[in-house]
Amino acid sequence: MINESYKVTEEVELVKASLNGDKNAFGEIVNRYQKMVARTVKGMLGDSVFAEDIGQEVFINLYYSLSEFRGEAKLSTYIQKIAVNLTLNEIKRRKRFFSLFSQKANNEMYEFEIADYDTEERKEASEIVHKALMGLDPKFRIIVTMRMLQGYTTKETAEILDLPLGTVLSRLSRAQEQLRNILVKL
Amino acid sequence: MNKSEIKKLIISSLNADADTVEVSGKLEKEGISYNFSKNFSDRVLNKLFSAVLTVNREVEFVKYMNFAFYRIALTGVAAIIVLLISIFLREGSFSFNSFLGLSDNYDESIVCLLTGNM
Repeated sequence: MINESYKVTEEVELVKASLNGDKNAFGEIVNRYQKMVARTVKGMLGDSVFAEDIGQEVFINLYYSLSEFRGEAKLSTYIQKIAVNLTLNEIKRRKRFFSLFSQKANNEMYEFEIADYDTEERKEASEIVHKALMGLDPKFRIIVTMRMLQGYTTKETAEILDLPLGTVLSRLSRAQEQLRNILVKL
Repeated sequence: MNKSEIKKLIISSLNADADTVEVSGKLEKEGISYNFSKNFSDRVLNKLFSAVLTVNREVEFVKYMNFAFYRIALTGVAAIIVLLISIFLREGSFSFNSFLGLSDNYDESIVCLLTGNM
């Protein structure tokens, strides 16, 4: 269980305490940013237990690289970058695996576990979003995830993905085109 | 929100001038939210700190091994020094023969030993 006293602590303090080996402080960081990481990882890989493993890896990587965090950028941006890198690596790994050992199509390598939705409408909406995202090329999918699920601006997206603003804008319009084609079929 | 409205919302989120915070908020209201399972943070902490513990144990083992190595090496060096001193005191030199324990009257001693005529 996470210590309640850290609920209102500044993130810089949490980072310092975590670096000093304070388990509760790092637990608070995990609590604060797990939803954000879930949106990126599950948005990119689908809602499955494997995505959960990548989510855990994100925070483990964060813990071991906390000493490199200088506080120049927001902690959320730093975590987001780790999440994006690990997710893209996982996609590459899966692509290699599936090209060698499976006949599955690209968009079939992402699992989707139907959660319990209170209405049929919500379930349908969730399925549409999942299918639309998984039908996209990963380099477009990451941009759509950043904007549609995380609510980042184009500038923030460019900063997180380490891409020039122009590249993000052009990928955005190509992603929109791809999405239209996918959504027509759904 | 019906199917076509959801599709429109998805497409509009990619407009360069879209209010992305508003779009993601609307999607979340429609049940499009991603979360990790319950006790996610506890699992991360368990994984993390049990791994740290394993690493610490490994480091301690290496430390003990280093310490044991130094003790064995020092004991060995001390034994060699004692041996050299005793050889020098007995033989009076560090010649090859003195290391082998053979004195100058080597031939006679061997003959005596072999014939039993002491």
